[in-house]
Amino acid sequence: MSPTRRDVLRGLGLAALATPLAACVTTGRDTAPSPTPSAAATSTNNPLGVDATRRLEVVIFSGGNGDKYAVDLHEAAYRRAYPKAEIKHVATQKVGTQLRPRFIAGDVPDVVNNSGPEALDLQSLVQEGHLADLTPLFEAPSLAFPDRKVKDTLVGGAYENSLIDGVPRVLQYTVAHRALWYNAKLFEAKGWTVPRTWAEFNALGEEAKKAGIALFAYPGQVGPFYQLWNLVYSAAKVGGNKVIIDIDNLADGAWTAEPVRQAVAAWAQVQKDYGDKAYFGLDHTQTQVKHLQDKVLFYPCGSWLENEMAKDKPDTFEYAIAPVPSITAADALPYEAIMIGVSEAFFVAAKGKNPQGGLDYLRMMLSREGARGYTEMTKNLTIVNGLVDGLKLTSAVNSAAKAQEAAGKNTITDARFETWYKELFDHGQTQTNSVMAGRITADQFCENMQKKAGELKADSSIAKQTRTV
Amino acid sequence: MGRKLFGGVSQAVLAVWALLIIAPLIWTLLASFKSNGEIFGDALQLPGELRWDNWARAWERANVGRYLLNTVIVVFFGVAGTMLLSSMAAYVLARFRFPGNRLIYFLFVSGMAFPVFLALVPLFFVVDGLGLLNTHVGLVLVYIAYSLPFTIFFLTSFFRGLPDAVAEAAMIDGASYTRTFFQVMLPMAKPGMVSLTIFNVLGQWNQYLLPLVLLPGDKSNWVITQGIADISTIAGYEADWPALFAALSMTVLPVVVAYIVFQRHIQSGLTSGAVK
Amino acid sequence: MRRHGFVAGFLLLPVVLYGVFVISPYVQAFQIALTDWRGVSAKLNFVGLDNFRRMFGNETFWQAIRNHAVLLIAMPLVTVLLALLFAYLLNVAGGSRGGTMTGVRGSGFYRVVFFLPQVLAVAVVGVLFKAVYRPDASGVVNGALVKLGMEPVGWLTDQRLALWSIIAVMVWQAVGFYVVLFSAGMAAIPRDVFEAAALDGASRTRLFFSITLPLLWDTVQVGWIYLGIAAFDGFALVNVLSIEQGGPDGATTVLATEIYKNAFGYSRFGYASALGVALFFLTLTFAALTMRVTRRERIVY
Repeated sequence: MSPTRRDVLRGLGLAALATPLAACVTTGRDTAPSPTPSAAATSTNNPLGVDATRRLEVVIFSGGNGDKYAVDLHEAAYRRAYPKAEIKHVATQKVGTQLRPRFIAGDVPDVVNNSGPEALDLQSLVQEGHLADLTPLFEAPSLAFPDRKVKDTLVGGAYENSLIDGVPRVLQYTVAHRALWYNAKLFEAKGWTVPRTWAEFNALGEEAKKAGIALFAYPGQVGPFYQLWNLVYSAAKVGGNKVIIDIDNLADGAWTAEPVRQAVAAWAQVQKDYGDKAYFGLDHTQTQVKHLQDKVLFYPCGSWLENEMAKDKPDTFEYAIAPVPSITAADALPYEAIMIGVSEAFFVAAKGKNPQGGLDYLRMMLSREGARGYTEMTKNLTIVNGLVDGLKLTSAVNSAAKAQEAAGKNTITDARFETWYKELFDHGQTQTNSVMAGRITADQFCENMQKKAGELKADSSIAKQTRTV
Repeated sequence: MGRKLFGGVSQAVLAVWALLIIAPLIWTLLASFKSNGEIFGDALQLPGELRWDNWARAWERANVGRYLLNTVIVVFFGVAGTMLLSSMAAYVLARFRFPGNRLIYFLFVSGMAFPVFLALVPLFFVVDGLGLLNTHVGLVLVYIAYSLPFTIFFLTSFFRGLPDAVAEAAMIDGASYTRTFFQVMLPMAKPGMVSLTIFNVLGQWNQYLLPLVLLPGDKSNWVITQGIADISTIAGYEADWPALFAALSMTVLPVVVAYIVFQRHIQSGLTSGAVK
Repeated sequence: MRRHGFVAGFLLLPVVLYGVFVISPYVQAFQIALTDWRGVSAKLNFVGLDNFRRMFGNETFWQAIRNHAVLLIAMPLVTVLLALLFAYLLNVAGGSRGGTMTGVRGSGFYRVVFFLPQVLAVAVVGVLFKAVYRPDASGVVNGALVKLGMEPVGWLTDQRLALWSIIAVMVWQAVGFYVVLFSAGMAAIPRDVFEAAALDGASRTRLFFSITLPLLWDTVQVGWIYLGIAAFDGFALVNVLSIEQGGPDGATTVLATEIYKNAFGYSRFGYASALGVALFFLTLTFAALTMRVTRRERIVY
């Protein structure tokens, strides 16, 4: 315990409490032994040096994809490989609340799917040395393609996305396509075509209005971030990926840039003319039920959507993806551009009892049966290339695959400020609801966001990250 | 004439409030039989059929039976401990002069003002350090500790209001302080004890944040509020709203039934306890 | 000596338990308020009063304070008024029958129903009212409004209404308890006091204001303090019901929500603890002030 702490307590007039307190909590633990478990000898069969008898604890964020995939596929694979190792499985919706105290205490699980609204702050974990370097995993031979390294079996960008301060530390497991979703069968029945320009989009809005359908809706209660994503990706469409890179880098004027303002103004206008304010008070699943009832034409979301709504989807509904219509005639990216991004962040705890086992667990996730099975079970594509041939995919995923083909190289990059600066992202959600409801103008939106970004930039307690591509 | 009008208006006012209370509860019960489509359709519509499978799903997912049992165990010991320790402390604080009396009293009472989840992380380590993490014993002790401020605050004022004569008479008869407390003063405080017991049962039954952090492990240890939150989150991800409302109904029903059975005692307890 | 042993013996266990599980974590929370701790480090880095400076310069903090002020005035006021009215109707308004003051017909039933919300977990009430307030015709309230030919109202999405909608839920849940509390107080008022006044020709309204209310003042004061402290919390309902957890545009945010967001969302445990310290002193000040202001001569009857 540093002497300062005692001084502070004395300053508070609490000197009497200083002594007994020193025994517990936030201090005291730093002397606790944090053993770096020695690796077993590596071999061709065991490139990561896993001790076959050591226990492995896996914590899974149990959200839209549940946690069954982990038990039935990846943990089962681990058990087959190391029958003597005990596996502890923990499913939770509040990763941070449950794990934070354990990280301070030094009793950490080995593999964590750090997702969901209460995920752990990765940057502070890195600062404390809690995240294992994933380089051995990426360099190890792939289980899916034994003649290749794991790194060389992944879709483009997957490795780059794992980097924090230049070191691979987080494995983003799934690939998702984000744009606007609509009911292909409804369009067919009505004889409508997917709008490519903002004028066509508006014209369709008039048609839909006559049919009693809102042109567009996003869930304002729990999921305003769907629309925040949409705004940011639309801005990138107008001004190119540089718009998003600047935002992520907290660059001065990133939010007040013209493409951002144009995209926000365009969407706010659509909401005003063809939207329904009821959706500001609905959460994502509620809005998605309305979408399935053909009360909403376009819904901004990702390709996991169909899996989430599988139980409720009527036969008259077929999910299809549409790029955001071109906002101006001079957009930097063509109409076909859509966002392709990764999610489901897995990491291995560096100070856990079995980091080698953790790395090998991730390697099994990236095996043929691990990744293909995951896609089969959750209808999500993984970052492993070329494993889904012959799988029966959802119409959403198939449609996304086609859209990806059409987009070619014109993909919109993922916005990373969501995980880098969660406060900015949350502020963005509030501002999104505000601008879409017409309480502030697009200009005010841009200014408010820029102000928050500036505050974070000036805050020395927040570690900064940068990206160039 | 005035009397009749007055009676009519009073009845109307009371009936409206009663309706405001009953309607959402009935709606929840009905929603537990609806399909997703019906839940998001017309609110005043009845379910098309009695979908018991919603209940089956909820029972299975939310593990309601197990969690209810756990909750009963934790709340029973939590409340018993709270009442015993609080009444002892409150009695001493109310009726004995000694140095530090005001300080201790103030320390207890100020605890009512502090937001619990601020203490969550340090609390975790205290409980962990005692080896009580993921145990019901640990949760019970924490429940007791966090119920003390409120209970002591009310019981102290209650004990202050008791007449001195009885205690003095008992002491003159040669009863020890301890005996005087348990055999004379505590029975006199029964009305206050009853109402505070009810409060604590409600408070501890509904506690959510503490179990979330102190029982993070094995799901079989969980209490009912954790189960509710769990299924509420799951409903959000899987869009299984009927199961959520079924689970809600399952947790609400036993409480409401218990309340209706015991309401006479609860109300008379509150009634006699409330007046100082 | 025996006396001291007794005092110490009775206090030992409660004080130890309280010290270990309540005081020590809170003291540590006070310490954390002076650091930039982000939740996973084993060391504390002291930054002096930075967190407090940041807090006072933060618009959301003041917004939460304003919301607390509204809650603090409106919630106890409405709850106490409704509870007094109901208690009066249920106990005294029926006039004197067979030697005791009675309530209007059906009092027993209403008493049971009114208390019912009190036995429901706040988490349950939150989920329930989400359905009640849903912004389209599938909401319980809006469904009825639409049936009557009116436009659905954005109870939780209109920033002028949102806080009031949440206050309504708090009142909904609290009233029953205070009805019972005040009923007890009214039952304790000797009936000849009423009878004498009634003989003098006093109206029911006058009876209420000149007799019932003054004699109940002590009970009302206790209720007020307790409701006031509840007004400083509000976390569970705001968290479940409001959009953006405290929105729209911070219209429903309370300190507890900000603490939760900063601690568990942004890992700013230092700042969150500073907010907690502010909340602590606010609550304490409120309790002390109320006791002082409402203190009155006790009425002896």
